[in-house]
Amino acid sequence: MTLPLDQRARLGLPDAEAVARHDAAVFDLRRRRDEAVAGLPEFEALRARATAIKRHVLDHLDRLLETFESQARAAGVVVHWAEDAAGLNGVVEGLLRERGVRCVVKSKSMLTEECGLNAHLEARGVEVVDTDLGERIVQLRREPPSHIVVPAVHRRREEIGRLFHRHLGSPAGESDPARLTEHARRSLRPRFLAAQAGITGVNFGVAETGTLVICTNEGNADLGTSLPPLHVACMGIEKLVPGLDDLAVLLRLLARSATGQPITAYTTLLTGPRSGGELHLVLVDNGRSALLGSPRHREALACIRCGACLNTCPVYRRAGGHAYGTSVPGPIGAVLAPALVGDASARALPFASSLCGSCSAVCPVGIDLHGQLLAWRRESPALPRRLRWTALAAGALMARPRLYRLAGRLARWTWPLLSRRWPGNPAAAWLRDRELPPHPGASFRARWTRRGSAP
Amino acid sequence: MSGARERILARVRHGASRRAVPPNPPASSPTVAASFADFADALAAVGGTAHGPLPLSTLPGLVEGALPVAARSGRRVVEATAAAWLPTGGWEVLDSNVDPCSLADVRVAAVRGTLGVAENGAVAVLGRDAPNRAVLFLAEHLVLLLEAGSLATDLEAAFRSLPPDALHAHHLTWISGPSKTADIEQVLVMGAHGPRTLQVIGVETEG
Repeated sequence: MTLPLDQRARLGLPDAEAVARHDAAVFDLRRRRDEAVAGLPEFEALRARATAIKRHVLDHLDRLLETFESQARAAGVVVHWAEDAAGLNGVVEGLLRERGVRCVVKSKSMLTEECGLNAHLEARGVEVVDTDLGERIVQLRREPPSHIVVPAVHRRREEIGRLFHRHLGSPAGESDPARLTEHARRSLRPRFLAAQAGITGVNFGVAETGTLVICTNEGNADLGTSLPPLHVACMGIEKLVPGLDDLAVLLRLLARSATGQPITAYTTLLTGPRSGGELHLVLVDNGRSALLGSPRHREALACIRCGACLNTCPVYRRAGGHAYGTSVPGPIGAVLAPALVGDASARALPFASSLCGSCSAVCPVGIDLHGQLLAWRRESPALPRRLRWTALAAGALMARPRLYRLAGRLARWTWPLLSRRWPGNPAAAWLRDRELPPHPGASFRARWTRRGSAP
Repeated sequence: MSGARERILARVRHGASRRAVPPNPPASSPTVAASFADFADALAAVGGTAHGPLPLSTLPGLVEGALPVAARSGRRVVEATAAAWLPTGGWEVLDSNVDPCSLADVRVAAVRGTLGVAENGAVAVLGRDAPNRAVLFLAEHLVLLLEAGSLATDLEAAFRSLPPDALHAHHLTWISGPSKTADIEQVLVMGAHGPRTLQVIGVETEG
């Protein structure tokens, strides 16, 4: 998080070709989402219900948590509570140490990314194998995921082929996705069979029944929880739904919003441990209860992590997930990070937005994402320096009509100079990946006057 | 750790405003009977294959023909509640609590499904019908046997139609097509970790 945002963007997407490919790949997910929505006449009604369900959950979260905890306990789940990242990491480390676990298979969990669980366990000698294919790719590359649904969307098949050749022994030059997936399958199957514990995230917790719901397409979370004797599930406290009816509504929206699928291949409801096995659940706060106490920002806690706002965001699509420097990137990341991370870099994220509102338009649980981005900007203790000067200058210009007109004329003369690349050009950052549009030749005011005098 | 629990709940209690009321349940839509053909279309769209509906009496002879070529040899297992629907020879009936790692070499597993969903091709598999949950994901090819009339139009109707004890036996798993991934350049590949194919056989139990 130390590099400025535009420089971080270079890390994941180093050149214009990578940017264009990333843009097309994630926008294709957005297109699939649109097709799925068009095929479901009741989509908007479902979305309104999902919004009401999540609002109700947040307003009654304390009671729902207590119900959920007692129902899960009654079903045989051991429930732990963690106030922060260190709390979660400590609980998991303790559970593994007590059982002498050295080898863990893990399925996708943005919460454990947020808390740095992998690094914590690896530093204590536990082998942690990420089993979602995309997560395995970024784990082998020793980089964070760049998307919450498709973690390796920023990597090309040839890069993944070279990676698998080096780590998994696939043939040199292999880049066919089906054959690379088969290599990953064959290398991971023995890990599943040998693992002493499985760690998963949780998509939803059902309060009335104490049930954990886990959604995957690969079935990796299912292998990871049905083979080893110990399952440790890590869940943010906001992930509850009251009952199965509510769950059904959110499940109908989740996969459609994420990838355009009508439902994920596997939707697993676990109520208690399997016979002879152990199921431990860690309920993690890590800043969520404080965010709940902020009426202006709490709605971000309704997020179900579908990724639709990433796929549609013009900034995310061109900058890539690594630019954000947070576990959850994109518009939702930019409104969660100021609350959950809170450092200067996180507070700067809401400024990296065009406020076009496309994120709000696709959010299946009705989060007013661009309104949230704006709200965080208003509360920013200090504007980024460059932005502050620009805002001051713009304010001064707009308050003085004559000066404004003069500046317009000046801009017309200097336009050819600004649109060319030369050292010291104040528009250099803009020009790095784009052209300035051609100047219209006359000011809006001049054209308006002409139009007014026409018959 | 109980200190953490109390502190978290205290903060949540402070933040929970208790304003929102539970959303109204949706106006109950007229019950539309889902057709097996609609279910079969939805299943095809997610990469699975539906067969039938087949009369129960002909089932043992027809299951073989429904299997993909790659599934016609190797170890075949069936969970107890589906065993009555299959031919007696060639299928190993599983006890209720086998060491899951001993199922790693299963080529084909057959399990009874409880309910199919016409909007997404998903089939509900209850814990009582799959006590060895791992076999659902370890098998190279999965066969789900479903009463052809046990269908719901959408997932909400499906949850309402589940038997009251659906959550009692550890798991309830909705399976919609084979295991899949598109994590390498968004190219869809079947058989990421679990079954490479999924066959759902509709069974006519009456008449």
